[in-house]
Amino acid sequence: MTNWIRDLDRILRGEATRLAALRDETIDIRARGLAVVIFVLAVIYGLCMGCYAVFQPDGPVWLQLLASGVKVPALFFLTLVVTFPSLYVFNALVGSRLNLLALFRLLVAALAVNLAVLASLGPIVAFFSLSTTSYPFMVLLNVLVCGVSGVLGLAFLLQTLHRMTVAPRPSPPLSPAPATERPGDTAEAEVHVQVIEEPGALEPLEGYVLGKQVKAVFNCWVVIFGLVGAQMAWILRPFIGAPGTPFEWFRERQSSFFESVFRTLLGLFA
Amino acid sequence: MTALLLRADDILRRRDWTTGSGRAGSALGWLLAAILAFGMFYGAVMGLFGGVLGERLWQVIFSAAKVPVLLLASFLLGLPSFFVFNTLFGLRRDFGQAVRALMATQAGLAIVLASLAPLTALWYASSADYGAALRFNGMMFAVASLAGQWLLRQYYRPLIRRNRRHRWMLWTWLGIYVFIAIQMAWIFRPFVGDPGAPVQFLREESWGNAYEVVGRLIWDALR
Repeated sequence: MTNWIRDLDRILRGEATRLAALRDETIDIRARGLAVVIFVLAVIYGLCMGCYAVFQPDGPVWLQLLASGVKVPALFFLTLVVTFPSLYVFNALVGSRLNLLALFRLLVAALAVNLAVLASLGPIVAFFSLSTTSYPFMVLLNVLVCGVSGVLGLAFLLQTLHRMTVAPRPSPPLSPAPATERPGDTAEAEVHVQVIEEPGALEPLEGYVLGKQVKAVFNCWVVIFGLVGAQMAWILRPFIGAPGTPFEWFRERQSSFFESVFRTLLGLFA
Repeated sequence: MTALLLRADDILRRRDWTTGSGRAGSALGWLLAAILAFGMFYGAVMGLFGGVLGERLWQVIFSAAKVPVLLLASFLLGLPSFFVFNTLFGLRRDFGQAVRALMATQAGLAIVLASLAPLTALWYASSADYGAALRFNGMMFAVASLAGQWLLRQYYRPLIRRNRRHRWMLWTWLGIYVFIAIQMAWIFRPFVGDPGAPVQFLREESWGNAYEVVGRLIWDALR
């Protein structure tokens, strides 16, 4: 477990995604171990989210706490399972160098960043769950927190994808330099690795611009993962548990995530 | 007592021991002591509005306990996310110094509040209007917060010089901290204590939401 947490730490610090560490065209992490860490982080955030149902004036709804603790990890893992085939297909279509294992590790690492941020914001969510009675506020706060962690997870994904594209290959290059690389050769890239001592996980590479291929793959992934993730969350609801309504594991199928957020926003001040 | 006052002077003058390398435990101990002592002092003065006779003395004790708790709890709740953000943006190496800068700022804020306590006492002596007392205390907190922010920027200056991303982290911290502190202050009401109402540690209707109340007021004003 300690090694798995160390892997997460290496990802967050950017050590696992430095150009020198990406020479083998994959991130050097234990994906299975990291999946366990992701699960634990998701459970932590789920419990923080479910606190709202426990501190209700009508009495605690303990089952909602349990449900939230189970549903948040389910949301992320199911979204990954549902989107992984299409993500890989689009990745291959655009001509990316990532193979199946490299793509899987990259997505797991991005999820780890996402969940680490989410779990770190968990105490704030738990505090508001404890102190506020406003259901619309809690819904919007959770959407905001998930949005912030999602954006940071995506920023990590974009930067790592870019680094994997420009990382020097194991053998001396015989082919022309990649399209995303600045005029120069691999030797320059190696010098670059030495100059930047500790680049952050989200730090753009200096002197490199994002290639069209990276942008295309990333945009496809954002659309697919974002839409599926949002709708998956909608299917798995309730995560918080509306006050005055009996506990239920799942609600009836109706409407969509985006329509609901808009309605909640209007309902906050009505 | 003299030692604490000397340390308070050091905090305001940003002496090396507050954020410099070495003896972090001792520095954090002094910063914590300053937050507790000066926060409690301002809280006690804040609770004097209804007097000190009979059960009104409890309001003084409650307010004295609540002000440092407000400062420390807001700080601690924001710390996990601040740690992750710092790590993600490649600033982990400076995290220890950043936390001490934040703690020193909290201590500085408490010291500024304590220095304003005589003004609050004077206001209480000159006006019996509860609403005016609330507004005056709000103003004192605003002044102390501005001074605290200035102090934080000074403490952060060497960090920003080392890496410009610390500037963004500073604003991120302020956003997180203010977001939590406003709600924390809302649920810890009353701090001043309405003389016409019984003394309470927390109000019965305190489990609400500060942002919802403000939002409603703005919404009603716009309609």
